[in-house]
Amino acid sequence: MIQLDGICKSFGENKVLSSLDLSAKKGEMFVLLGSSGCGKTTTLSVIAGLTKEDKGDIYIDGSRINDTPPHKRGIGFVFQKYALFPHLNVYENVEFGLKAGNKRGNQSKRGGNRTEVKRAMELVGLDGFEKRNPMKLSGGEQQRVALARALATEPECILMDEPLSNLDAVVRERLRHEIAQLQRDIGLTSIYVTHDQVEAMALGDRIAVLNNGRVEEAGTPEKIFYKPEKEFVARFTGMKNIFKGKITAIDEDNGVAQISTGNFDLTTVFVPSSVGTRVKACVRPEEIILAKSDRNTSARSARNEIAGRIIRIFPNGPLMRVLVDVKGDEMSVDITRLAARDLGLGEGDRVLLTFKATSVHVIL
Amino acid sequence: MSSSFRISLSLIAGVFFGFITLMITCLLTATSFTEFAGEIRSPEIISAILLSLQTSIVVVLLALLFGIPAAYILATKQFKGKNILDTLVDLPIVLPPLVCGLAILIAFGGEGILSRFDVLFTVKGIIIAQLFVASPFLIRAAKTAFESVDPDVVDAARTLGASEFYTFRKVSLPLAKNGIASGVVMTWARALGEFGATAMVAGCIPYRTETMTVGIYMHAMSGNTSASVALSMILIVIAFTTLILFKYLGNIGDGNTGTQGAAA
Repeated sequence: MIQLDGICKSFGENKVLSSLDLSAKKGEMFVLLGSSGCGKTTTLSVIAGLTKEDKGDIYIDGSRINDTPPHKRGIGFVFQKYALFPHLNVYENVEFGLKAGNKRGNQSKRGGNRTEVKRAMELVGLDGFEKRNPMKLSGGEQQRVALARALATEPECILMDEPLSNLDAVVRERLRHEIAQLQRDIGLTSIYVTHDQVEAMALGDRIAVLNNGRVEEAGTPEKIFYKPEKEFVARFTGMKNIFKGKITAIDEDNGVAQISTGNFDLTTVFVPSSVGTRVKACVRPEEIILAKSDRNTSARSARNEIAGRIIRIFPNGPLMRVLVDVKGDEMSVDITRLAARDLGLGEGDRVLLTFKATSVHVIL
Repeated sequence: MSSSFRISLSLIAGVFFGFITLMITCLLTATSFTEFAGEIRSPEIISAILLSLQTSIVVVLLALLFGIPAAYILATKQFKGKNILDTLVDLPIVLPPLVCGLAILIAFGGEGILSRFDVLFTVKGIIIAQLFVASPFLIRAAKTAFESVDPDVVDAARTLGASEFYTFRKVSLPLAKNGIASGVVMTWARALGEFGATAMVAGCIPYRTETMTVGIYMHAMSGNTSASVALSMILIVIAFTTLILFKYLGNIGDGNTGTQGAAA
């Protein structure tokens, strides 16, 4: 288990971490998600002992390691830009940590690291690369070497700093799956830093969203992406439609509640609050069904139906984003390209937006 | 317009290159081969050559011993007064060697705080003078080389269980070795060519403190041009070799030397 209590760190005037708390459980993949400059990398650096914290405590499995130098912490680190040793071949890179004597009770036997190196290289699928010059490998292969190098020392836990961000999309996706698989197989406590939500969602057992040098919110991917407690997290994870409103009715028997934004009403599932409370209602753009308003919708189980007019349509990754004016508010809806074409959508068209009560998430 | 500009540029540059070539040619043709061969066999000249080689090599070794730690600290550590130290290292490069010599002369002279060391007019004095003037070239080159080592690579070594010293030995030093080597070449060349400070500190005593440069000066002033020219020619050859070596080391660059040795 890795635990940080109230970590503060400033570089000159620049406050990077301000009382940051987090705890990654044993064997879990803990993802730190945040935009650049939010302190993700500094957090890892502090855990590894490469950056000295100004304040706060760091614990690994319950023991405080603030004063333990980096080479005695037993923490593996995978860098964004691989950080391989350019003057050593692949084998020597992987062997480095074993020779440096990180692995307890196995201080470099003469030529005796072969088994450990071989095992680490097999884990990352680099068999046969032993004598290659790491600088001449592809980015993906270099990151595999870096991974093998970190794993060879059998660390207590491993920290990964945007390890896939320099790779092209295809390699990134493949390596992401492999890292997830590997992490699960070994059961290695891992902290993984990324700014990529897809990566966070795909990898994380739990995710912590960082903002201004502290953890804004931590939880399962489900919670962070669909039921965040903080507006910042909702916005950060792409919850485009966030409306300020007031609870107008709570129907405990049917498990629903009504929220009025002033411009329109929304039905949501039961909220543990009282009528009159100011809340924020959030709907993810991909949870909304869009239909031309002259057609009948078949989504009868949905509890919300709102009419509007299309302001703009533009590509949003593989999907199309439709901006709809809803009685003076703006709603974003994601639909497939095929749907956009079949519906023959155009700017100015009148449309009907439908979504379930369960799709309306309420931030109190 | 642009062609006349190009012509003027070529003319001006041509004058410069012509001047240098002319000077070197004059020097090289000032003596015949037999004269040259005779001169470099004279015991005084041989003694000067040997003394220069000995002192400059000792200077390089001392510069490595003191310069590498200094360069490493300047390149990798943050501390108060670092800028001052950094400037101090460069000072002997821009200071006239005579001033450096005078400083040593005063420090080790009769009233100086280091007067108990018998340095003036000895080989030790030559070494101190050359070290003072030449070692900044090594520190400068080594510092740049250490700075160019990717800090992530150093950090990676630390997280892999390497102590600071192990990391220095196995990562920083090997990655900076080409930069350090070019620093060694420059320092050696500078030490070999040092005259002003050496003459101030050690004087010009034939067979005792007469280095090659001191010899060139003494023989030229006493009218023995062929001895001066012979010594100069040797220095020119050394200078050319140094420059070629320096460019070669610069081309290899740091940290991209590829694999070293085979494993397993």
